Amino acid sequence: MTTATGIRTLTLREIGPAERGTRPEEVVIALSPAFGDPFTKTIVDVPHAEVIRQLLAGIEEQGGVARTIKVYRTADLAAIAHFGAKLSGSGIAVGILARGTTVVHQRDLARLSNLELFPQAPLLDAEVFRMIGANAAQYAQSRSPRPVPTRNDQMARPRWQAKAALLHLKEFECIDHARAAVEVEPVITRVD
Amino acid sequence: MTAVEPRPQTSEVRASKRTEILENRPVNLDGFVEEWPEKGLVAMESDFDPQPSIRVEDGRIVELDGRTRDQFDFMDTFIADHAIDVDTCEQAMATESVEIARMLVDPRTSRADVVALGRGLTPAKILDVVKLMNVVEIMMGMQKVRSRRTPANQAHSTSAKDNPIQVAADAAEAAVRGFAELETTLGVLRYAPLVAIGLQVGGQVGRGGVLTQCALEEATELDLGMRGITAYAETISIYGTESVFVDGDDTPWSKAFLASAYASRGIKMRFTSGTGSEVQMGNAEGRSMLFLEIRCILMAKGAGVQGLQNGSISCIGVPGAVPGGIRAVAAENLVASWMDLECASGNDQSFSHSAMRRTSRLVPQLFSGTDFVCSGYSGVPNKDNMFAGSNLDTEDYDDWNTIQRDMQVDGGLRHVREDVILQMRNKAARALQAVFAELDLPAITDEEVEAATYADSSDDYPDRDVLADLEGARSVMERGVTGLDLVKVLERSGFGDVAENYLQVLRQRVSGDLLQTAAIFTGDFVPLAAINDANDYAGPGTGYRLSGERWEELKKLRHVTSAENPEEEVV
Repeated sequence: MTTATGIRTLTLREIGPAERGTRPEEVVIALSPAFGDPFTKTIVDVPHAEVIRQLLAGIEEQGGVARTIKVYRTADLAAIAHFGAKLSGSGIAVGILARGTTVVHQRDLARLSNLELFPQAPLLDAEVFRMIGANAAQYAQSRSPRPVPTRNDQMARPRWQAKAALLHLKEFECIDHARAAVEVEPVITRVD
Repeated sequence: MTAVEPRPQTSEVRASKRTEILENRPVNLDGFVEEWPEKGLVAMESDFDPQPSIRVEDGRIVELDGRTRDQFDFMDTFIADHAIDVDTCEQAMATESVEIARMLVDPRTSRADVVALGRGLTPAKILDVVKLMNVVEIMMGMQKVRSRRTPANQAHSTSAKDNPIQVAADAAEAAVRGFAELETTLGVLRYAPLVAIGLQVGGQVGRGGVLTQCALEEATELDLGMRGITAYAETISIYGTESVFVDGDDTPWSKAFLASAYASRGIKMRFTSGTGSEVQMGNAEGRSMLFLEIRCILMAKGAGVQGLQNGSISCIGVPGAVPGGIRAVAAENLVASWMDLECASGNDQSFSHSAMRRTSRLVPQLFSGTDFVCSGYSGVPNKDNMFAGSNLDTEDYDDWNTIQRDMQVDGGLRHVREDVILQMRNKAARALQAVFAELDLPAITDEEVEAATYADSSDDYPDRDVLADLEGARSVMERGVTGLDLVKVLERSGFGDVAENYLQVLRQRVSGDLLQTAAIFTGDFVPLAAINDANDYAGPGTGYRLSGERWEELKKLRHVTSAENPEEEVV
């Protein structure tokens, strides 16, 4: 592999323990144990830096504010997102696994219920992440956005299912039951 | 990026033209991964699987595959207490694995003998036996141990728009083409009552005796079955590790209870399981996919259900990606049949981009015959398949019919002339139109009936008023509409023959014939099951052979040159 120019890298700088926010328009982005470190990209090689950049841009465009936390105790997306929602000032969170599977959650919903679910990680690209961010910000402002259009690909299973299982197993290995969630600052560096 | 784009180039080293051509073959769109046995990402040969063992004390199994009773998880307990024959297990376990494998292959050993021996084996011992068998030997075994003599097939009938008219028309076509069972599922779950009615009515138009089901969350599925709007159920998932069961808030006992709820109303049902699901969910507990699937098979047996849908089903991408995975899937089907269960052997769910690979996974089972060769051949174009696509779809009908004719094998289908298909599709749509009118559901227009007659996919139908339909669906449930109500409506609206077929399906519920292992109906409502159509294969010249009327039917294809007049085709 050659090092291409213009690639963005993501560093998650720890700020402190993840605590409950107070700003009513806040969206929490809740990251899974392997997101950003040790993994750097989704199942279809979308850099995690790009995922975060697009989510943040989508939230900002709609006048929202974002806070990012990293969860270590579980790799269950519903649990990660619901935990994030409980810490969110608005009650809205975007939960995301290292491989890219994403959900928009709300603290008053049951854990296995949610606002919008994007189960097919291979179909999520920069554009979709931006729309997800934008919708999350609108939910946080008590607006009713049109759900992000779902994509379907009947050949995703033969192409990606086993890699998804492998990535899931790897993410499981990053679970640290003893480590509480932390608030992080995403630092995106562009390599030119 | 999607699943049909080539992989990004990762090397700047110049490749040969041949490599470039190979790189662009569909098979290279498939996903492949290395084995990781410690986590269960391995098909069937893992050092982490337990060694076979059994010990009985006071008529109770106290040791199973290296664990003593105090170490049992709830799967071990359920299997030890309900699935293994305590009286014969010590003797059965003492038989050499290679001897048992030979018995499975040898046509001179009767099915009854090998099934009886199987009742005394533990999961690790069963794995030890099938690990010795190559894929041809597995199919030799399958030919003998499948429970029903006559093979059959099952179709998916779904709509990307949840359009009940499309489902009815495609169900009628699938029925007349020969499928014995039809299943549907939804994009928008609230549409279920209307789509289930469409499936049932359409299914009874093509021919009598087709069984239908609507795959949903368990409570609604059971409700539709109890009402007689559907006739069977098969999406009762079971898993091979305690941790995955617990994740789903289930236990072997809760699933057994659900099974008994169906049985109490004469509703045919089977469980669903398959290799790869536990590793997919991250809880394989370090066991191979096939070992865990064998535990599922014994769980199904212990719960007393008549059958199992296995063959990896929705996790097929996982065994498909590891070495020997498709052989393991074939072996799991063999074990289900050997354990005397009806086996719907998979071959559904999109499995590969490669036509050659898709066919080679299917063909051994098509040749040996299984109770249902596909657990869902897509009876609609794959883009309308709400089970996320199938290994085969409507575009493959003529290929399937030709393979049956080439090899003189019965894959459960037949070629049907265009005029018959159009007539059946039209009649199904009109029958549903009448049912909707009588039940005050949102009208089905003549334009929709016309579209259904000639359509291929959901694109070819006028859009429905979805909100009005959902309101109608809700009212069907609230008014307590039952299968018997639908029979009356069909009778009143001039579809007496469809009503008669539907009534027969409901009457069979009372007789309980559908609870016999591997039960299906002939077009004349004669139940065919392991009890009256038992597989009697005992070597060349025995068992199910394609001959007589059925063979004449399968000789027909879309284009066959007349021997008498070579300038014409036989119609």
